Amino acid sequence: MTSPSEQPQRNQGKDLGLTLCPSCQQLMSHKATHCSRCGSTLAFRDYSSLQKSWALLITAAILLIPANIYPITIFTSQGQTRHDTIFTGITHLIDLNILPIAVILFTASILVPILKICGLTIYLLAISFRLPISKKRLMVGFHVIEWIGRWSMLDLFVISITAAVVNMGQLLDAKPGPAATAFALVILLTQIAAKVLDTRLLWDRLESQDDTNRNTESS
Amino acid sequence: MKLLTEHECADTSVTLCRSCDLVIRKRALPSSVRALCPRCHTPIYDAPYCSLNGMLALCLTAIIFFIPANLLPVLELHFLGSIRTTTISEGAMAVANQGYWVVAIAVLTSAVIAPGLLLLSVLSQILIIKYRLQVPFFRDILKRLLKYHGLLSQLTMLEIYMISIFVSVFQLTDYTDIYLGMGTFCFAMLFLVTLFLQREYHLEHMWSVLDD
Repeated sequence: MTSPSEQPQRNQGKDLGLTLCPSCQQLMSHKATHCSRCGSTLAFRDYSSLQKSWALLITAAILLIPANIYPITIFTSQGQTRHDTIFTGITHLIDLNILPIAVILFTASILVPILKICGLTIYLLAISFRLPISKKRLMVGFHVIEWIGRWSMLDLFVISITAAVVNMGQLLDAKPGPAATAFALVILLTQIAAKVLDTRLLWDRLESQDDTNRNTESS
Repeated sequence: MKLLTEHECADTSVTLCRSCDLVIRKRALPSSVRALCPRCHTPIYDAPYCSLNGMLALCLTAIIFFIPANLLPVLELHFLGSIRTTTISEGAMAVANQGYWVVAIAVLTSAVIAPGLLLLSVLSQILIIKYRLQVPFFRDILKRLLKYHGLLSQLTMLEIYMISIFVSVFQLTDYTDIYLGMGTFCFAMLFLVTLFLQREYHLEHMWSVLDD
């Protein structure tokens, strides 16, 4: 029904045979293999990025389980040893009435990783299976995920500071637990998964679907 | 909007959005205004203003604070008359000694190595642009530095470490007396100066220096 002349409201780079250098943002012809300014390899679209991103994300999701089950800190106070997982550590803080810190730690070490993994899963599902989700909303979510992901490092920094300063044998002692490595890997892998993904794929693949949706709504 | 031909895009007035590939016509922007992609709201470009001398001053200040921030203790613990202190790298080493070297590398990279390399990289970029831009050897170095700038600035997590210090203080006050050392002050200053430096720094502007 739609004639080709009225369909492309906005030009995309691929219609004009143009592409952007990923490292220096120089505008190049899509026939070029290397950027003329910085010399890095150009990829018109990185289709393998979808696969890489899925692989990293699934690994991160699996690692999230040991990160939450095993203790992340082992705290000794006057001969009594506590094994705290991420969750019990936070409930312990609530018991001690340090609510603001508990909220910060809950956000950084439970909410953010789970939101990130769920968000990226939805995002990748939308590209792989062409789900009819608003692209604009997906992209806003993606920017939030990219920005907020770093903050999970908070918990690891806190562990390293306390482990270094609190070491007095039986009286007072803090050690990291086995979950620490798993948690560090979750952060690392999800960050790379978001970084590696070529987001232009979303706008290519969903184009036809989204446009037909818009047309049926308007008619 | 009319279709643009390939010929029209040959000049520099057009750019593409790096996340959704939309063609965008560049317009002059007032300073401190950022152009967002109209379709996916990715930041595209901002007014290319950055003063080299201002950045040089900020960069040197940050480097001056960097050394005591890493050598002086960030936290002091007083417990039954004994005093324990820790610097950032001692914290990382303590975790590594327990066998958690993945955590130790993450802490060291994001709080010591990446910020240090970032500052050195910015300093050399500024010096090359100011004095040695015509020499091909230095142009090549500048290219390499600019390529890795994005990665370095992503790995730099000074702000998160800053918050972590305060979280640890609040967590430990229940058990012992905690004091913030001179290192904390230097670290806070390092964080602030680096923040301003990163606001002033524009990667795209630095790349455009190579064009002429």
